Amino acid sequence: MDSLHAIGFYVSSGVLILGGLGVALMPGRDIRGLAMAAAGAGLAGVYLSLSAAFAAIVALVCYLGCAVLVAGPGYRSVESVVSPMWRQVGAAGAAALLALLAYVAFRGDFVTARYSAGPLDVGAVANLLLAHDTLATEAIAALALAAAAGAAAAWRMRDRAR
Amino acid sequence: MTPTLVAVIFVAGGVVAAGAFGAAWRRDASAAVASIPVMFAGAGVAFAGVARFAAAGGQHLLGQELAVLLAIAALALLGLGLGIAGRESAR
Repeated sequence: MDSLHAIGFYVSSGVLILGGLGVALMPGRDIRGLAMAAAGAGLAGVYLSLSAAFAAIVALVCYLGCAVLVAGPGYRSVESVVSPMWRQVGAAGAAALLALLAYVAFRGDFVTARYSAGPLDVGAVANLLLAHDTLATEAIAALALAAAAGAAAAWRMRDRAR
Repeated sequence: MTPTLVAVIFVAGGVVAAGAFGAAWRRDASAAVASIPVMFAGAGVAFAGVARFAAAGGQHLLGQELAVLLAIAALALLGLGLGIAGRESAR
């Protein structure tokens, strides 16, 4: 990847992330539509810098369509009301899933055979992420965990403020 | 500073996190649905990045195909969600 591609990748990534944050945080639907269009343009730029030109064209068209849907006159606001019982059911289901995963982690085992075939060569990806760039992978996991915990905390604070 | 697969995965994780935050933060269900294409965009970036950097010899287009599929699915899902919301609010 030459320097022009690298600059394009980082600029497009910034536009994509800022557009995504705009969709999440901006108040009016017109501004959110503009943010969605910006996110689509950034996504197309990222695809282009990753040598995926056809995906870039399709993504640009689809996300401009999404922007039109969000900013268009057919948009209606719907206040969601979820009963406490369904929240408890969801929490119990998540706890059951966690218990199942813990059981599998303690009792299960992985096959030790090496499989490096497949269209994406996932063995090479695993070696890159878990052997060569372990610290960066753990940083991504910490970022995702912090984002999920922050979103949950913000949600609970909003519920408490109601 | 040449982008690597790690940089691509960082960007993908950030975009997915922004979309998830929007879906959880918004009280308006239509606005929450509008955040789902952002999450799909992050997944598409990850797939395209894996297809770009992990392909050893020859062209491997599965990741790009999945990115295209995710973009189309995002548009369809948003149209369906906003259409249902419009019908429900019109009653």
